[in-house]
Formats: sequence, structure tokens, C-alpha cells
Amino acid sequence: MIFFNKKTSSGSVGKAKVNFCLSRKNAWLLWLCQCLNIAVIALELSTWMLAIISLSLAWQALLLHNSRDRIKTRKKEATVKHSNHLKKQQQATIVSPILLGIFALLGCLAIALTAKEVGILASMVHLLCFSYVLKAFELKARRDFYQLLLLGLFVLASSLIFRQDLLFSFITLTLLVINLSVLLQFFSSEKTFATNIKVMAVILGQSTILAVVLFLVFPRLSPFWQMPSAKSAETGLSDTVKPGDIANLSRSTKLAFRADFGQQGIPNYSQLYWRAMVLEDYDGRQWTRIKAALKNTVKQSPSNTFSVNPNDSDIVPLNYQVTVEPSFQKYLFALAPAIASNASNGIRAKSDFTFMSSKIITQAKSYQLSSYLSLPLSLVLSEHSRTVNLNYPEGSNPRLEQMALQLKHNYPDAQARAQAILSRINKQNYSYTLQPPLLINNSLDQFFFDTQAGFCVHYASAFTFIMRASGIPARLVTGYLGGEYNGSNNEDDYSEKGHLSIYQYDAHAWSEIWVKDKGWVRVDPTGAVDPERVNSGWSNELLQEQSKLNNELFSLYQMKNIAWLNSLRLQFDILDYQWTRWVIGFNSKQQYNLLKHWFGKMASWKFALIIAIALVISMVMLMLFLHLFNRSKVKKQPLSKWQLVYQKALGKLAKQGIVKPVAMTVNDFSKQVREQYPELAIVFTRLSVSYNCLSYQILSTDEQLKHIVKIQEQYRDFVQTLKKQP
Amino acid sequence: MGIMPAFSIPESVSGFFNRNFERWLSKRIPTRDEHQLNSRNIMIYPTRFGLSYLGFVVLVFFLGTNYQNNIILLFSYLLASVFISVMLHSFYNFSQLRFYSRAKQLGYADDLIYFPIKVTADKTHYDINAHFTDRTLISQSEHIAQCAQGSEEIKLTYKSSKRGKHYLGRVTVFSEYSLGLFKSKTVLDFGHYAIVYPKAKNLVAGQYQFSAQPDEPNMESYQTTNSVGTDDFSELKSFVRGESRARTAWKQLAKGQGHYSKHYQASQGQLQWLKLKDMPSNDVETQLAYLSFLIGELTATNQAFGLSLSADINNESMNIAPNVGFEHQQACLTALALYS
Repeated sequence: MIFFNKKTSSGSVGKAKVNFCLSRKNAWLLWLCQCLNIAVIALELSTWMLAIISLSLAWQALLLHNSRDRIKTRKKEATVKHSNHLKKQQQATIVSPILLGIFALLGCLAIALTAKEVGILASMVHLLCFSYVLKAFELKARRDFYQLLLLGLFVLASSLIFRQDLLFSFITLTLLVINLSVLLQFFSSEKTFATNIKVMAVILGQSTILAVVLFLVFPRLSPFWQMPSAKSAETGLSDTVKPGDIANLSRSTKLAFRADFGQQGIPNYSQLYWRAMVLEDYDGRQWTRIKAALKNTVKQSPSNTFSVNPNDSDIVPLNYQVTVEPSFQKYLFALAPAIASNASNGIRAKSDFTFMSSKIITQAKSYQLSSYLSLPLSLVLSEHSRTVNLNYPEGSNPRLEQMALQLKHNYPDAQARAQAILSRINKQNYSYTLQPPLLINNSLDQFFFDTQAGFCVHYASAFTFIMRASGIPARLVTGYLGGEYNGSNNEDDYSEKGHLSIYQYDAHAWSEIWVKDKGWVRVDPTGAVDPERVNSGWSNELLQEQSKLNNELFSLYQMKNIAWLNSLRLQFDILDYQWTRWVIGFNSKQQYNLLKHWFGKMASWKFALIIAIALVISMVMLMLFLHLFNRSKVKKQPLSKWQLVYQKALGKLAKQGIVKPVAMTVNDFSKQVREQYPELAIVFTRLSVSYNCLSYQILSTDEQLKHIVKIQEQYRDFVQTLKKQP
Repeated sequence: MGIMPAFSIPESVSGFFNRNFERWLSKRIPTRDEHQLNSRNIMIYPTRFGLSYLGFVVLVFFLGTNYQNNIILLFSYLLASVFISVMLHSFYNFSQLRFYSRAKQLGYADDLIYFPIKVTADKTHYDINAHFTDRTLISQSEHIAQCAQGSEEIKLTYKSSKRGKHYLGRVTVFSEYSLGLFKSKTVLDFGHYAIVYPKAKNLVAGQYQFSAQPDEPNMESYQTTNSVGTDDFSELKSFVRGESRARTAWKQLAKGQGHYSKHYQASQGQLQWLKLKDMPSNDVETQLAYLSFLIGELTATNQAFGLSLSADINNESMNIAPNVGFEHQQACLTALALYS
């Protein structure tokens, strides 16, 4: 019976594959989508790779453009067959594989050569982006199109390795919608792209139900294997500080970390010295941390580590949570002296009252601390530490050394000596500026006696140097000062909720001197020159200076001056904080706590059961939701006026016992009515004719209106005649 | 059916499986002119892209887990949920469609035979494809990018070079909307079959002369039918070997314009019988092809004729009484198609 012809059928299948061709609109959308995806990860790519990628994209655009011209010329020649012209178009967007192969090989070679320089992860990202761009040149089958889209999604996912803040996540989500809409466009090419985006947004919106449930209940697994870590540019402080370094940092308005004090009152601004690093080694030009080998020997003296006897009931600890932004460094921030509340967090307390993370911070990380602000820092000074903190290259700053000797003579007491220097700074014509004049060889002499203008590091360095030269152990501490409070600002309301945001421009440097019986005492020479900086933050002059230096469209200074913009910024900051805290920082422990909070403590198999049930329920909810969604759509089709009228008439007839079968046409039914109820015949036939006329004839709006009026009159007649019936 | 095992399953097993599947399917989707899609007759399963998409989601999940990156994890969860919601969207895009098609279609061999399927939709549906489930048939897959509210028609084509009654089996209708992750598919049974007439083969009138039914003693009609083709000159046609030399158009031949033979219009209004055994060939298929041609010609010129395929005049299915018109033509051609 059935005729077999395998040859032709297989031939037709082959043809179908060859004929794969994106519509022009789709091709351009895909191209646009590629550009956007690359843009998201562009910061992680090196310049030469970006150049190659933009070149390829431009080439792609050119090919797409040319293909249109070719179609136009083809269309003029009406005789050209359709398939032929498809082929041409395809040829236009596909580059010869040999050329492409050579290009790909060269690119891979370049990536391999630079791999050592940029790190494994970065070179993998390079490879990914490179293949993503090249793949677009060989869209031969639908499979290639799919592959390209998945590659694009992977580019999006890997861009999230480097940044996770709310804004970036939102951008990624938007791009996800666009990517999927391009795919959707492929299957519903008749719709406009805007509607497709809308449909896709709806689908994603529906999917969030399940995604959120998965996020909350799906077990957090430990890493399966070691991945190359992100090696982005380190941000924030560095462990070597030259005078003038921090001034550069203070141009940055990037967030450094946030601190949440919960219900407790936030300490005064002038107490918010966030300690990050202690720099004890001075070589005449710059301050550095002591090398690790030396540190180990220090560690062995147990007297230096800070511990608090919990029985000291008169000291109330200040508990707070710090959430650091990825800095790609290890140091953490604390208000010294502090102890970490839960030590298992990968945090190490060090002898100089700083904290270190055991791993490089590549994504937001939070930890709990308890600070005892009134307690002294280590009352005992080891011999080694004393020598280190008195050491300075002699003869590097002779004028300062001379002054130190003089001060030593005049002020035998350490703190009085420090005060003397501060008052000198305060009284003389010193200025605090982001743009200090250049110093030859970072000479502190030159700064202190000649230029007399500088930033915090200048003052702290000079001060520390003088103290060391005069025989008092002193060291430089870097970190952040202050922070911006964001939250409800009710002073009398104790249950205030909010957090401190500390930005890079809050970076600061100060000194510590060792005083017998008081331990390490903090002295901030900046307070002497610019008290406002220490007591309430940046002065307006400094902000103005900063905005000038930055050349930004919306500088912080401008933002702070425009009230609504500032409040918007603060609102967004709150959102971002919650995002960081609850989404980025949601770890397995928090997950466990949350489930425990909801369902109580229970065996692990019960947890598994809960997870399974939650998933099933959310799935069912999703289905139900979609079902209703779909139903309402069907119902939504509005019945036009005449349809309503006709339906009403049918309803009246049904009451009389004449029911119209669904399949019966209007004319047939009116015939049936005529036969069964001759009295109704005329009125109902008229109604039916008008209905047919309205439903099936093409009428102008005026005519339609006339007919509608007519059908309504006819309906009234119909009802009256019906009433007359016994 | 649609399941083609890529790896070799023992024939008996796959045969057993296919038979059972066939039985299940015929219960599930019985033969009808009209079908409405619902959860009873829709099969939905992930495409190859859908499976690779799932693999991709797992990959992203690994990426997120290895970096302990919650946002990437969230991303992978979102993609996984999209997979589920797209499945539902795919289903709802496909369901509620109504299909109507008539089972029987007629046509000549080597000609395209159309099987129109009327698709009625209450809302807009996207990416509807249809083809005969049996892919060995010479038939293209048809595609509707957007099926708007109302009715549309899909025309499935079929072509065969062999006459007869061909059962075409089920029609596969599928859609890969929304994202190509899922294929919503149904195999509808309209009971489609095609009656394929023998392909008409040109027969010069001179090679064949109509005859009356031999048993009919009507000598007059016999006479007239014998003289068919001698009344009025109608046209010149190229000479075909075997034609009578008496018909050669000598004038044209002498002028060197080629060898033509004269043809004459037959007189009308006679009862004419087309007989299989009178056809100038030994091969039955060729004879049927000539008959097919003659039926077409005679209908076009609106002449009455009867068809006799068997010597036994009482065999009604093989002998069709003289008549005119389209329906008569179809009846005759169908008889030719079914002749065995």
C-alpha cells in the first residue's frame, strides 16, 4: 500500500537542514544580544581580546548588512528561485571554515600565551567569549543557533563570578530575558520583539516561584572540585603605603563594606576606626607589613593575643555584623579590640588586633564581631615588637629627627609629646587636601616643613616617624574611618534599624603609640588638621575637590546635594544591603537555621522530606497558576454587542424549550424556529439575518453601528412577541 | 510509528513494543474526522535541545556550587524553573486546537494530492507543524508560524507514482513553542487515504476506436462509433508510428513541414464504451493509463461514455454505465485506481 521512496525522503530531510536560515530580524537580534552579553563581561577581558571581539562583531554586522543588499538585488530578478536565494543569503553570513579555523587557532594561541599573565580563570573566560563570538560565523543548522544561545547564557552566568551586587544581578536578569526572547522570537516570528520580551518576562516571573523555593530549600553543596579563583584587580587598601596613596583611593565611591549594629546604638563617628592593617616596617619611603616569617615568631608569644574574660560584667560588648564586598584581598575590618563571635567562619584574629580571612575574598562575606571599645590594646609589649616599632632608617629625614630629639627633651611624657606635635600641626599652616604637592623621594621632611599640605597618610607617617625618632614605639594603622548611616534616623527610638555603609573614600590612616600601662593608644593627627573629617566625615570642600578630580557625571558631591537623588541612593543602598545579606550571603548554615525556624529541629531525613514536599507543592502551584492564567485568557475574548443580544435571545428561546445545538448554523436554527413556532418566525428570522450580517459581512463602523441599533430593536420586538405567547 | 530505535533492539521486542503502542494509540486517539487537542491526546517530551539545556543548567549549577556563588545558583535554579514553566506553556500553546479533515482525497499518480486540514483556534497559537506520521511517504512537513484565532488550513501533500488506494496513516502535529525545549506532539488519525488514479497517458484517437458494448445488439450505434473520428477535420498532430497512412497530411509533408496526421472530431451523442481490453497495449498498467487519459478527454469534451473493465457485464463495480459529468469521471477513475 505505502509507497517507499527512501532516496527522495532522505534527500528532503537533508534539504531541510541546509535550508536553516534565521530571518533578518532574528539575526540582528541575535547579534545585538551577543553585543550585550559581551558588554556585561567586558571588564574582565583584556584589551586585545576586546579588540578582537569587537572586530568580529563588526564583521558580523557587515555580513548581515551585505546579505540584505544581496536579497534586494535578488528580489528584483523575479526569476531567481527561492531556494537559490536562501543559499546566497546563507553564504553571505557564513565565512569559509578554513579562514575561521585559522582565526580561531590564532586566537587560542594568543589566549594560551597570555594565560600565565592573566590567570587561569581569566583565560577561560577569554576562551569562552572568543568561541561565543566565533560561533556566530557558522550558523549552519538550528543546532548551531541553540549552541550559540546556550553559550550566551553561560557568558552571563560566568559574569556573575566577578560581581554579584543587586544592580549587576538585575542587569544579568534583564539580559537573560532578552536572550530567551531571541529564542522565543525564533518560534513566534510573527510577534514583535517587544511582545516576546513581555511573554518571556511573564514566563520568568512564573518561574521565580519555583526558583525561590529551590533557592531556599535545595541543599547547599560543598564545592565538587577546586576552581581557579577570580583574580580581579585588588580594591581597597594595600599592604604597602606611601604618603599620598590613600588619596587616590579616596576618589573611589565604591562600597568597601557594611556594618550592621542591630538594635544597639551606633558609636560616635569619631570612634569608628575600622582597623584593617597594621604597618610596622618603615624603610624611609613606605610603610609595609612585617613579613610572614617574622610574624610567626611574634605569634608564639601568647601575651599579645586579645581575650576577654566574660565575667567582666561591667564591660558591655558591642556586637555587630560586618559584610565585606569582594576586595580580592584577605584583610577584614574590625573596631579594635574585638573578638570574632564564631571562629569557624574562616576568620583569623591576629596579634595586632586585625582580622584576616583565610581565603581571598572574591564575593561578599559576612562575619560577627564583638568589640570592647573601652579596653586597652595589649598592655605588654614584647621586646621584638618594641625594636620593630622603634626602628627607622636613620638620616632619612634629618630635620624631623632633630625635631624629635628636641621634643624628647622638652616633653618626657609620651602622651604630652604626642600632644605637642598635634598642637603644632593644628596651629601652623597645615592643610588637608586630596591633591598634595609631589614629594621628592617621599621625603617626610619636605612635607612637614615645606609643603605642609597632605592627606591622612602624610600626617600619620610624619607623626609616627617623629614618635619613633623620639624613642616611643609607634606604628601606622590603615583602615577606614566612619561610614554612612543608612536607616531610620529616630534618635529617641532605640529600636533603630539600619546599617553603616563604608565606602572606599572613607579609607584612612592613623598612628598608634605605645604608652606604658595604657597599651597601644590611637592618635590621629588628621584630627589636628581637619577635625571635621574625624568627627563627622568629609567636609564639603573635600567633597568638591573629589568631584572635580573624578570628572563623573553624577559625583557623590552632587548626589548628596540633591535631596531626592540622595534618598534614592540611600534606598537603593538598603536594598543592595538586604540583597547582599540574604541572597549573596545565604549559606548552608543560614539555610539550616531558616528551616529550623520554620519547622523546628528535626532529623535530616525529615528535612529531605520537607524539601521534596516543598518542591512538589511549588510545582503544583506553578501548574495551577498557569492553568488559571491560561483559562482566563480564553475567557477574555470579549463577545461583541450583537453576539450578546443573540445569546440573550437564544436564552429566552431555551426557556421556551427550543435549544440551539452548538453545531447548527444560525440560518438552520431560524428555519427550525419557523417550523416549531410560526408566531416567532418573522421576528426571529429578522434577528438572525441581522446577526449573520454583523458577524460575517465586512462593514464599516458606521454601518456596524446602524446594524447594532437595528438588532437591538429587533430583539425588543422579539421579546414582546415572545411575551404575547401563552 | 514515530519511535525509531537508533540502537538495535531485537526485532521481536521492538515489534512487540510497536504493536502494543499502536493498540494503545488507537484506543487513545481513535479515527475521527475532527479532533480537539487536550491532555488525552497530547504527548509532550523534551527535545534534544531540551535535554542539552538541562545539562547546561546542571553545568551552571556546578559552576555556582564550585564558586559557592549564590547568584549563579539562583541563576541555575531560575533556568531550571523556566524549563518547567516552558513545558506548561508549550502544552497550553498546543491544547484546545481543533483539527478537521476529510479522510478521502483523489488524484492522479505523480500529481500532488492535497489533504486539507482545517485548524480552528480559540486563541493565538504558534509554531504548528504537521506532517504524515509515516515519513517514508513523499510528503512535505507543513508549518504555520502563527495560528490566529479563527480557522486556518494546513494542506498536506501526497504524491505517489503507483495507482491504488493508499492508506496514509496518522498525521503528526507538533509544536516546539515556546523555546524549543519541548515538543508537544499528537498523532491524529483522520483515516486518511488517497485514491490514486493511473497517470493519464496520451493516446492518439486514431489508435483506438470506441466500441459499443459487444453484447448489445444495437448495430447502429456500433456503426456510428466505428466511424468516430472521421466526421470533421479538427487538428493536425505529429505522426505516431502505427497510424494509418491514409490520415497523413501530405500537403504539409510535401512542404517539408514534418510528418503530421489529420485528426477528426468524432460525432457526438453516441453511447461509447471504454474497454480495457481494447487498449493498444499488453501491459495492464499502460492500458489503465490510456483509459485514464481517455476518461479525462471525454469528460472535458462533455461526451457520454461507459467504462468496462471486465468482460462480465454484470460485475457492477467493474462496469460503469455510460454517463457524463465530474462525478462520473471520478467514479470511473476510482474504478481504474482500484482495478486489480
